[in-house]
Amino acid sequence: MLIFDEIKKNDPELRFVAIALATGFFILLAGLWWVQIVTTSEYKSHLVTQSYRTIRIPGMRGKILDCEGRVMAENAPRYNLSLYFGGLSSEFEAEYDRLRPVRVAAKSRPFWDLWRGSPAAARKLAPLTKTNITNLKWQARYDVAYRIVTQMSQTLGQPLSFDYWSFKRAYESSLYVPYPIAQGLNADEVARFEENYSGNPGVDLDVQPTRVYPLGATAAGLLGYVVTDDSGGDEDAAYNYRLPDYKGVVGVEYGYDQDLHGQPGEELVMVNNLGYRQAETIGNEPDPGRNVVLTIDLDIQRAAEEALAAHQGANPRAAIIVMNVRSGDILAMVSSPAIDPNYFTKNLPPDEMQKESAMMEDTNLMPQINFATYAAYEPGSVFKPVVGLAALEAGLNPNEIYHVEADPENPDHGCIYIGEHHNHKIKDTVPPGDYNFKRAIELSSNSYFIYNGLRTGIQRVVEMADKFHFGEKTGLKTRQDAAGIFPSLWEVEKSDWHEGDSANIDFGQGRMAVTPMQMAVAYCAIANGGTVLWPRLVDRIESQDPNSGEAPTVFPSGVVRDYLGVHPRSLRIVHDAMLGETTDPEGTGKSAVVPGLQICGKTGTAQIQNEKGELIAHNYWFCSFAPYENPKYAVIVMVHKPMPLGGSGGAVCAPIAHDIYADLVKKDSSILTQNVVRN
Amino acid sequence: MVDPSINEHEPRLDRLQLAALAGLMVIGTLFVASATLANPEIAASAWYRQMWVHQIIWYAIGIGAGAAMCFLEYHVLTRWATVIYAIAILTLVAVLIPGIGSVHLGARRWIDLPFFDLQPSEFAKLAFILAMANFLSRPADELRRPAIFWKAIGMMMLPFALILKEPDLGSALVLAPTGLAMMYVAGIPRRFLLQLLGTVGLLGILLVGDILFAPHALQILHGYQRDRLLVYFGSDYTRFAPSNASAADLAKMRQTQLADEYNVRQALISVGSGGLMGKGWRHGTQNTLGYLPRAGAHNDFIFSTIAEEEGFVGSVTVLALYAVVLFAGLRIAGQARDRLGKLVVVGVVTLIFSHVFINIGMNIRIMPVTGVPLPLLSYGGSSVLGSLIAAGLMQNVHIHRKGY
Repeated sequence: MLIFDEIKKNDPELRFVAIALATGFFILLAGLWWVQIVTTSEYKSHLVTQSYRTIRIPGMRGKILDCEGRVMAENAPRYNLSLYFGGLSSEFEAEYDRLRPVRVAAKSRPFWDLWRGSPAAARKLAPLTKTNITNLKWQARYDVAYRIVTQMSQTLGQPLSFDYWSFKRAYESSLYVPYPIAQGLNADEVARFEENYSGNPGVDLDVQPTRVYPLGATAAGLLGYVVTDDSGGDEDAAYNYRLPDYKGVVGVEYGYDQDLHGQPGEELVMVNNLGYRQAETIGNEPDPGRNVVLTIDLDIQRAAEEALAAHQGANPRAAIIVMNVRSGDILAMVSSPAIDPNYFTKNLPPDEMQKESAMMEDTNLMPQINFATYAAYEPGSVFKPVVGLAALEAGLNPNEIYHVEADPENPDHGCIYIGEHHNHKIKDTVPPGDYNFKRAIELSSNSYFIYNGLRTGIQRVVEMADKFHFGEKTGLKTRQDAAGIFPSLWEVEKSDWHEGDSANIDFGQGRMAVTPMQMAVAYCAIANGGTVLWPRLVDRIESQDPNSGEAPTVFPSGVVRDYLGVHPRSLRIVHDAMLGETTDPEGTGKSAVVPGLQICGKTGTAQIQNEKGELIAHNYWFCSFAPYENPKYAVIVMVHKPMPLGGSGGAVCAPIAHDIYADLVKKDSSILTQNVVRN
Repeated sequence: MVDPSINEHEPRLDRLQLAALAGLMVIGTLFVASATLANPEIAASAWYRQMWVHQIIWYAIGIGAGAAMCFLEYHVLTRWATVIYAIAILTLVAVLIPGIGSVHLGARRWIDLPFFDLQPSEFAKLAFILAMANFLSRPADELRRPAIFWKAIGMMMLPFALILKEPDLGSALVLAPTGLAMMYVAGIPRRFLLQLLGTVGLLGILLVGDILFAPHALQILHGYQRDRLLVYFGSDYTRFAPSNASAADLAKMRQTQLADEYNVRQALISVGSGGLMGKGWRHGTQNTLGYLPRAGAHNDFIFSTIAEEEGFVGSVTVLALYAVVLFAGLRIAGQARDRLGKLVVVGVVTLIFSHVFINIGMNIRIMPVTGVPLPLLSYGGSSVLGSLIAAGLMQNVHIHRKGY
């Protein structure tokens, strides 16, 4: 070698290095020669036969349970009828041979062939182009598959669709996994198939877990739903094929998706040189997801839903929240109308699927909205206790009399004039007369709260509302947690803020919107002595396997968000007035009363206007807690009624609350008072 | 022997070596493209996100850095060798600190800089060569002293240990032949080196014996380093299962083994199925169908892509280009003005050769799988930059050879 010779002969070390290098190169050369020339045919045959495909197996999704361990969402086996390409390969071949055109050879056969019984003319395979052969093979595969699908359709007694292109795609990309032709077979269909077709290698059942909600539409709004997840994400490249997996879209299914979901595992499938499944081994076992245990009590949840249905029929737009005022635990959360979450996993009989589908398309219903947490409306009179607290703290004497003057246009009702020149009239719903704090709450006088609210000053009202955290999210991880609207101190001090705006706020209208969940938190705070809690929906997250020994993740209850910092006397005045609302003959919430239970309540009716300022609907409220002596439960009922339907908070919502309290009393008799109703 | 009048007409640069380097860079660009374009996601992205474009940019930067190396005479360069070595050691320490060094695939080897991920070990190897050459270019009688020998060993063990800690077994191992060759060429007495080789060999046998036969508690290597050696020796992972392992645990171990063997087997199938002529550029089925691990097809396993698509002919071409670069390097070493120049070049040549041998060797299963890049062909900024700076060092010695 030329370079070699140039390395100085009198430099033995360098020469040795050169020889070592040459030896190394020779070893590599020899190795490559061996691998690429001598044994290449072996590797060429290995090329496809030794290929692995990885299939992603999702972890078993965790269940969602109520506080007593009753199942609200779980997994069930779902039977699919599938084609197994590996078992069909010989049928494909046979069909191809049958389809292959033959032609009659021109020359007739010699007579001795005829003697032996051969047909008169020789038949030869017609020459075909490569494209023709490919097309013919597809034709053969399609024919075989179509024949099977038709047979199955007769066996199962239901029409099955068969799409050539999806079949072709599956055949080309994933021969080694079953190709489903009918999904979600019921027990009857499974039995019928087993009777008629077991043993056919090309068609069989395959079982996949599917998400089911055994309670149907019960608690659907808070549970949320899942959809099939085929996004793949960044892990996609690692797998050749993904078995169906779910991801939560809203509700608990969304908020706790990470925990419910678990870790996927993988199956390694060895495929042969045609791409058919040869053997399989489980790689990493999937890790099942964890169960989410809610604070929801299914009994109370059902009671609330039944109460709503009993008074408002099917599909009213409404929200109900039952909450423990001391712990912030949400015991029931109803959002209506609700769609059965099984609809999204297609686990409903066809007629019910259609019904749900019609609901989804009805723009008036909006069943995907959780009205308890995601719909913010003006609260109306149920906001008055907040204004009342601000006024009392500012020094309002509850016994001080405010005279509501009569509305000249409508002498049965009161009114109040505000503005610089007292020329702006706001109508009241109550009759004119003398009102102290208690009577103003009981009858819900707007004039009294406007007068005293303005006297207190909008800043103090806003400061009080800020302690309740109106205008802020309640921290529920359901993806449907609206912040609502509430003016800030900065806004009310701007020049474009008028006395009229303040007056509106004082009776829960105008530039504000709250969610029922925010009202629930606020009434809990009023009930429990002034502690604003974070609402708690999930009690703990624990392993699906009770014997795993794995410690559950427990979320603490009664986590404090803020303190109202108001005098206990102010709260007592508000409690007394609210008790009067359900017990006083004049009170608007009398229909909530349950014998033996003292309920503090507040009714409300808010007018909902569209962008043009036209009245389009009413929101009826009943916000309450009980028992009066030592409050334990808060019950918030909101019903939205489009015009021209009418009513009032007391008439529409209080009876619903009544039914819920009746069930609460049955479940928890400790809240009953010994010295029954005092008047 | 050397006639100055002839030398005046000789080119100052070693053009043969430069031509071979250029050839390697062309091949590198082509096959980084082939390996990465097989991934439809990468193929669909804009041209300036293509990895082969990045590779060309790194070549350009590397050529600039290599050319810069030629301007400073290597004596000037090696005067700073101790400083360079110290900086290299500092970066190697830095990379081990969580927060500075970033972890990819279980190894802490990179420092994430805004525009690229620096792999300090690539540059530490060169710093080591400069420092070692500087250290060994002392009077010949001093080299016979054991103290000098042990100091040299110490200089080698420091980066070796730090790189091994990352862990990057392959990059650490290439330091050994490099250091030994330099000591040998410098004139360290042969018996020292033989003793060292004997000891290392014995330790190596003990290590392999430990991996293959020792009970679980006495295992020295851990995790994937051991696993990779096991794959190489064809042993069964379940051998090391604790005595109370359940059937499921054993199945899992076998599974892991299967997955680990997968890379090696797929690379071997790629190379073997290439045959004499290969399947054609961008037609390698192992590559395009994604059987070759996507993460490795364009860097550590680039050779299997080349071998599959261009066959034995392609493999030999690559080997021949490396041979030209390295033997031209040795010729430069032979013509070097002094021992310092000779040692720098011998170090660089051995380093590149070790990379080539280990990398190609692992593709045909004569070496265990270690994350060693193939110089100039594998995708990666640090590696390309390091290789071209190394080439620049060789050219530097050539420019300032005897007679100039």
